[in-house]
Formats: sequence, structure tokens, C-alpha cells
Amino acid sequence: MSYLIETILSGLLAGVMYSLVALGFVLIFKASQIFNFAQGVLCLFAALTLASLMLGNTPFSELLHTLGLPNDWMPVVPIWIAVPITILVMIGLAFVIERFVLRYLVNQEPIILFMATIGLAYVLEGMGDLMWGSDVKPLSVGLPEGALDWMFDRFDIYVDKLEIAAAVVATVLVIALSLFSQYTRIGRALRAVADDHQAALSVGISLRTIWIIVWSIAGFVALVAGTMWGAKSGVQFSLSLIALKALPVLILGGFTSIPGAILGGLIIGVGEKLAELYAGPYIGGAIENWFAYVLALAFLLVRPQGLFGERIIERV
Amino acid sequence: MEPETVPQRDVLMEVRNITLRFGGVTAIEDISFDILEGEVRAIIGPNGAGKSSMLNVINGFYHPQEGEIWFRGEKRKAMKPHEIARHGIARTFQNIALFRGMTTLDNIMTGRLTKMHRNMFWQAIWRGPAEREEVEHREVVERIIDFLEIQHIRKTPVGRLPYGLQKRVELGRALAAEPKLLLLDEPMAGMNIEEKEDMCRFILDVNDEFGATIALIEHDMGVVMDISDRVVVLDYGRKIGDGTPDVVRNDQTVIDAYLGVAHE
Repeated sequence: MSYLIETILSGLLAGVMYSLVALGFVLIFKASQIFNFAQGVLCLFAALTLASLMLGNTPFSELLHTLGLPNDWMPVVPIWIAVPITILVMIGLAFVIERFVLRYLVNQEPIILFMATIGLAYVLEGMGDLMWGSDVKPLSVGLPEGALDWMFDRFDIYVDKLEIAAAVVATVLVIALSLFSQYTRIGRALRAVADDHQAALSVGISLRTIWIIVWSIAGFVALVAGTMWGAKSGVQFSLSLIALKALPVLILGGFTSIPGAILGGLIIGVGEKLAELYAGPYIGGAIENWFAYVLALAFLLVRPQGLFGERIIERV
Repeated sequence: MEPETVPQRDVLMEVRNITLRFGGVTAIEDISFDILEGEVRAIIGPNGAGKSSMLNVINGFYHPQEGEIWFRGEKRKAMKPHEIARHGIARTFQNIALFRGMTTLDNIMTGRLTKMHRNMFWQAIWRGPAEREEVEHREVVERIIDFLEIQHIRKTPVGRLPYGLQKRVELGRALAAEPKLLLLDEPMAGMNIEEKEDMCRFILDVNDEFGATIALIEHDMGVVMDISDRVVVLDYGRKIGDGTPDVVRNDQTVIDAYLGVAHE
């Protein structure tokens, strides 16, 4: 029994991580109908920047070395400075993406924007490699780690403190985001743009500004998600592949729903752990790798708009 | 009816020789007219006459190939729709473009966005100045809600409202921006007689009480003639008539355009 609870708990907590990544997707998709393939790489890039700053790595050190320039002048940056710097980098990135990519693709087909984000993903990944190198970096942001003792002592259930911390952070983030979008001027503008571009323009909302804000927020969410994953398993380039796990999460939850992204993440987290536990022994394990996709496929057949997505009804 | 009062007003907007083409199709050809401060100006014409295109030109959704727009005594340079909104031109849409997932209150609050610029990004997160500003603008919005008699649907998501009420909310949103010029694209399309009468009353009251200049497009000739000071008539992208409702009503070209002419 305690083993089952342990499995479900660890599934829920892994699900929180998926939800965090999916959340970044939903934000951008709602505001601009862009499926941002680069969201996973944004997580990677943010975590990479944070980890490297804290390790005192010099940006472009390989490049500088090749050019014969000094390449180890960066001091080790303490976390309370490194985090704001990383946030600024992500906001700067949002500006650059709007200025050099999105601005030229306004009113294009969604597939073209999607292709642009694939390109963006590769550019960013290469950029991350060039700036910070491709070695696995430890990232310790001072979150508690190890087993939660009293749970272990009393119920014999192993729960990682780090994962609890991740769940708390994710909850706070989601609450903050929904309060922001519900009660502030910019939040209202964001919702307006998500609802109707033309009407938003007619009340004086600048789409460019909104896009920069949305990508900045998505960058911030990516930083949180990337930090959590990085703290768990080190910052490595396979992090960008998590983006692919977020895809089934979105199909489950619906591309336009924040609660959907969260619930979808949790269902997939728990589902794949349970599948591994119960069906794994019979079909040889490694179910975790593909379970999410099969579940998503089943969902596409039954409820293509997802749990909370907007139902697409075409009037004829 | 006092046609003599018309010339005493200042010109708020003047469109001069506007031509708009989409590829090979000319939607508007060499149209000029003016809109006077404080008047209700109607643009009428049969289907495909270029009425909505004209509104979209004024509002900045379309950029004409030729012609000038003068607004408040200045020639307007090419601007984006959101910049034009900030310059005091608000509009409604023929097919209702509300933020469907948001409540009536929130929808009308979006009309105040251009007026709320004091708070910076982070102030929006930490309450205080941003909250005070919010309350201040809420009062304006509540006045508009009272005025349009939609108190009972303040917290209802507009997607659930009946058509006539949605039209009214949309008017409220445009009004919230306190526009110098209010563009109404078929404000009475698809309404029953009762709703039309309500809407007429609101339009006239908006004109009176808020002092907004109104340019409206309408299909229903009867309605237009009752509420507008002057009327522009378009047909096939050209202007075929311009004047007070009485003048326009008796103009042979206008009658022909609306009723069709027998070809011998």
C-alpha cells in the first residue's frame, strides 16, 4: 500500500515538472496562437545561464580562447544576483525574438510561425552551447534535498524534499500568474489579446508590447522549470527534450487552458509511474518513455480539444 | 430640423481623395468627406459599397494607397490601429468583437487601457498605486454601465449574453475610451425593432451626454435618417451623395442605387 502511495506521490511531483513546462507553452499559445517549439530550449537556456553564472563560467569562453582573448574573468556570482541577471537575460531574449523573428511574421499562417520557433530552438540551443559549453552543470539553488524524514519514519514512504519544493514553487507561480492576469491592467490586456486580436487593437493595445511581455513571462516560467529540472538532475542539454513530454500534456489538458496544463501534467506524471509499476513487469519496462504519447493519442481520438480546451465548432 | 446649425461646427475629421485597392480590386475610389465636431454622421450604401472599408481606413486597419486623413486639424501620418485608438478614435465591429471569455465589466475596463499608463510593470504586481488607478477607472466604467442599463450583467462572461446586449457592451467598451470620434459599424444589424429603438436612444444619448462625435455605418435607411445629422452615400466604392437626411432621401442617384434602376 505504501508503495502505491509512494508511486502516486512521485508521479504527482514529476507531473508538476511537466506542468511547469507546459505552462510556458500555454501562455504563448493563448496570446499569439503560436505553438512555441522552443519552450523546452528556453528552459535549458535559462537554467544554463543561471548555473553558469553561479559557477563563474565566462560566456563564450571557448570562442574567446580560440581568439586568444582572456576567458576566465567572470567571478562566481551569488544566487541573489544570478537570478535577477538571468531574468533580465530572458527578458532581453523576448525583445530579440520579437524584434528579429515575430515582427516579420505577423499575420502569417500558424505553421510558418511554428517553423520559425523550430528554427529558434536550434539557434538557442547552439547559442547556449557556444556561450556556456555543453558539459553537465550542477545547479544548487539552496532548495532542500533528500528524503522527507517524518514521512519516511512514520509511514515508510519516501518523498524527495526537492520535489515537494518544486510543487510549492509551481503552485505559487500559478497563483501569482492567475492573480496577475485577473487583476492588473497588463493582465487584462493579455487576456484581451488572447481573446481577439482585432478588438484588442481597437482599444489601443499594442500587439508587439504584449508579445514581448508574454515571451518574457514564458521566459520566466522557463527559468523556474529549468531550475527545478536542473536542481534534480543537473543542467544538461537533454533538458530541451522535456519539451516533447509537454506535448502530450498539452493534448490532454488543451492548448489554451492553464488549469488544463497543470492537470494534464499531473495525469501524465502519475499515469506513467503507475503504468511502469503495474504493466512494466509484463511488457518489459521502459513504459515511462512512451506512455504519455499513447495516452495523448487515445485522447486525440476521444476528445481532441483536450480536457479544458476550447471546442472548435465551425459554422457552416 | 435646423440645417443652418451645421456649418457652425468645427471640422473634426476630413478624409480627402481616399483610394483603397486590394490587388486589382478597387474598394474605395477617390472619396472625400468631412465629419464635424459633435455631429452624428452616417455612411450608408448597398452591400459592397465600401462602407466598412472606409471605417477600417479611418481606424487604421487598412492603409489607403492614395489620399489624406486630417484629424483635429492635422494631417495624420500612417499609424497602427492601436496608435489611432490612443489618439481618440474608438470603434465597434459589425460582427461584434468582444473578449468573449471576459465579463462585461472587464470588457469595458479594457476600453480604459489607453488611459491607464501610470503604473509600471512591477507596480502592477505590487498593489498600491496600480490599485488606486484601477479604482479610479472602475468609477468611470460603472457610470457607463449605469448609462447603458447593463448593471445586471456586470459579472457575466459576454460570450453568454444575447446578441443585443453584446452590442451594447461593445458600445460601452468603445465609450470607456472617451473617444473624440466614435465609429459604429452597423450598430443595429440583426436587431429586432425594440432593440433597435434602444440602440438609437443610446447613440443619441452618447452624442448628447458624452459629447462624442459619431460616425456610423448602417443598412437600415429608416434608422439612419432618424438619428443622423448628415449622411454620406457610397455605391461601388464611390461617393454618390452627401448631405442632410432630407437632401439624400430625395436624391435620384441615391434612390436608384438603393432600389436599382431599370435598364432599357
